Amino acid sequence: MTTAAKSESHIHEEHEDLREHLMLDPKPRGEMNAMVMEAMHTTSWKFKLTAAFLGLVVAVCLFGAWGYLILEGMGVAGVNRPSYWGIFLVNTVFWIGISHAGTFVSALLRVFKAEFRRPFTRAAELMTTFGLVQAGLSIFFHMGRVWLSYWLFPYPNERGLWPNFHSPLSWDFLAINTYLLASTMYLFLPLIPDLAMARDRSTGWRKTLYRILSLGFRGTEGEWAHLRTAMNIFAFAILPVMFSVHTIVSWDFAAATRPGWSSTIFGPYFVVGALHSGIAAVAMVLVVVRATMKNMKYFIRKEHFDALGKLMLIVSMGWAYFFFNDYMVQWYGGDKWTDALLHFHEAGPLGWMWMLMLVFNVAVPWLTLWSRKIRTTPGLLFAIGLLINVGMWFERYVIIPISLTINRMPFSWREYKPGVEIFLGIGTLAFFILLYMIASKVIPLVPVWEVQEGQMAHSLRKFGKARVPTVSEIE
Amino acid sequence: MSEDSKSKWGMVIDEDLCTGCQACVTACAMENNIPFVGEQDAAYGRGMHWIQVQRFWEGEALEVSTSFQPVMCQQCGSAPCEPVCPVYASVHSEAQQVNSQIYNRCVGTRYCANNCPYQMRVFNWRDYELPDPLNNQLNPSVTVRRRGIMEKCTFCIQRIISAEDRAKSEGRDVTDGEVVPACAQACPADAITFGRLDDPESRVSKLAKSGRGVQLLEELGTHPKVTYLKGGSR
Amino acid sequence: MNETKTLLALFQDVDPAAEAIDKLREMGLDDGQMNVISGIPVTERMLGRPTQWSNVPRLALGGAVGGFLLGLFLAVGTPSLYPIHVGGQPIIPIPPSVVVVFEMTMLGMLVSTFIGVFLDSRFPSYSPKEYVPEISDGRIAVFFECPADKEEKFTKAMKSLGAESVKPAEAQKL
Repeated sequence: MTTAAKSESHIHEEHEDLREHLMLDPKPRGEMNAMVMEAMHTTSWKFKLTAAFLGLVVAVCLFGAWGYLILEGMGVAGVNRPSYWGIFLVNTVFWIGISHAGTFVSALLRVFKAEFRRPFTRAAELMTTFGLVQAGLSIFFHMGRVWLSYWLFPYPNERGLWPNFHSPLSWDFLAINTYLLASTMYLFLPLIPDLAMARDRSTGWRKTLYRILSLGFRGTEGEWAHLRTAMNIFAFAILPVMFSVHTIVSWDFAAATRPGWSSTIFGPYFVVGALHSGIAAVAMVLVVVRATMKNMKYFIRKEHFDALGKLMLIVSMGWAYFFFNDYMVQWYGGDKWTDALLHFHEAGPLGWMWMLMLVFNVAVPWLTLWSRKIRTTPGLLFAIGLLINVGMWFERYVIIPISLTINRMPFSWREYKPGVEIFLGIGTLAFFILLYMIASKVIPLVPVWEVQEGQMAHSLRKFGKARVPTVSEIE
Repeated sequence: MSEDSKSKWGMVIDEDLCTGCQACVTACAMENNIPFVGEQDAAYGRGMHWIQVQRFWEGEALEVSTSFQPVMCQQCGSAPCEPVCPVYASVHSEAQQVNSQIYNRCVGTRYCANNCPYQMRVFNWRDYELPDPLNNQLNPSVTVRRRGIMEKCTFCIQRIISAEDRAKSEGRDVTDGEVVPACAQACPADAITFGRLDDPESRVSKLAKSGRGVQLLEELGTHPKVTYLKGGSR
Repeated sequence: MNETKTLLALFQDVDPAAEAIDKLREMGLDDGQMNVISGIPVTERMLGRPTQWSNVPRLALGGAVGGFLLGLFLAVGTPSLYPIHVGGQPIIPIPPSVVVVFEMTMLGMLVSTFIGVFLDSRFPSYSPKEYVPEISDGRIAVFFECPADKEEKFTKAMKSLGAESVKPAEAQKL
């Protein structure tokens, strides 16, 4: 080949490579709108069957089992003395962890101007809202007299009683509700322009729904200015809320006197753990969305899985760091109760869970996610994400019921065997998936205006002989 | 700021006298309307006895000795169960210097039970009802509790209040030994002594200050109101 | 008396829209007589328009102060009004109060930011307004008031700068 021909084919390859990136492969906005609307409108029989099945699971395993639990009492669950908290709390912490992923993608990545977040911020933010719903349900499940749960809400009453703000559970109540409200509002604000787009392209009940929800948005300068200002405030402000929520949840355990629980590192340990399971869950959801919804292969590409895979690896290292901090200091201290607890974790009847936790949370990501090939293979990323989530669920199981077994009164050492919690846990998982599926057909899953904004901001610039992608700051 | 400087009611249990007969457990159950949970729940650690006789084996084969330790709520001066209840169901009684569990406020989050280092709080896992005619033995001075509520030893607060009321109506103070909780009343070995820790002349104060006195998990700083006398071997 | 007509010119891209706005100014309109509606946020800088003022930050700050006061009431006020002794902690414990005050401040700030968008943009508003659905397909619409007799002149000027269409702007139900 002549030099000229070589460099020409180089440029051709480069072009093709660059066009792999969503931001450098623009389509007319009208076409992208149509693609997103089509993805929303198309429901296959497989979708309907899955939704019907999940609906059945929710009816039986969630609402049915919950009714049974309320009527019979906590006795049908597996909790006892000393494991007064079990899988309900494990699931609460797990779902709050999942919910942190959404805020991480839509807020943290926005603040750091990571352009790859654009097509999936809404898909991630939906996980936050629906994850928090499951966490809230799990909290309700664990209460002995749930019909009086409104007493945790501060309101003037004739009993002369306000909630006890000494209690981490009261902080939980305030923090989780703040987070739920904030993330729902943050989900809604960037959704308004897309609802306006959907309004313009719909008929029938959909048009009425979008007309009402889009509030009369047109896209005037004023409307965009207020929206953008609000979104910037939200992006910055919701980050401390996100960090505080899981820290406060960790204080449910760290503020207690139990061996293995009153550890000062629980705050950041839990936050990083939440990101670990959350980002893995976002990757899982995106793999499924891309595989099952029309036109999503245009919006969600290898680059997004690549970025998420790298994040999963880094956060896994962070989790290992905090786990080791917690473990090393407890092991070194030599307190006889903590010693007994650590030994029970590793070598007790559920020692396999502790081992698998380390394998799934650390070994699996560290052995696989360094490879770009693996990161960009959706099926493999899904499997790795699933193992990470299982590992993180095991971590919370180790921390809650297994740690409660070993306390300072050996006469009260007794194992925990789950009961109806298993059904309710499956019910919350089915409910999460069902809510997500319904949402994906009711609201546009991809924030098209943000994708177009990003595509407008990206261009190719000549840098010497190379053509490099450049991002302009058009905000 | 702890309340160890403030004391009122307290208990001393002489482990060297305790025979492990569980009369205290039975008496407490009858006095305080403690339900029977059934074989299955009891085996799973859901027994609801407010006082538990903990049995410890010491020594090697053929030279084994047992020691018995009746444990109930220690009515801590600085109780870990109190700050963690979100609805103020576990509060410190300033008047009686004990920990009060207020059944009507409890919503069943069970944080207090997790935080009790003595693991002496019990939960109503189900509605346990005494079938007719056993319900005739229920003590009318003590309420019955429904499912979803936490409970624990109250130092027989109903007996304390009724003694104080009686003394007040007679225009005198409560005398030492007038208030006898059910467990102390039933103990055949007189191992349990109850009275006013703030009165240096009371039997319980003198026993508590004796050289054999120890407190459970003292290093945690909970300031329990129960002192155990240990030291003689059997 | 001169009648005015409201025209709506649709542009595909930022550059022609910016030129059109310059041209409109040349032809005697001032900024108050022009409005820009777009499918993605086009900053005022790009079109040479005066910066929009938003009340949202001030409302957010006000909400933060309100939330702070609510948090203080809950953490400090309620135990002062109804003191209950628990666990050897002071009646008003400082570290838990910090947590409560922080959460309520953030809640106040975020809720008032959200409400601020509604107030400032006068949402929800379902009355008929000037709009064309092509805007959500990424077009930039410039609509302006011009004297009725000069309608053709303005239309020609917009078309010559690349407007896809120039129509009378009718207020329609969205």
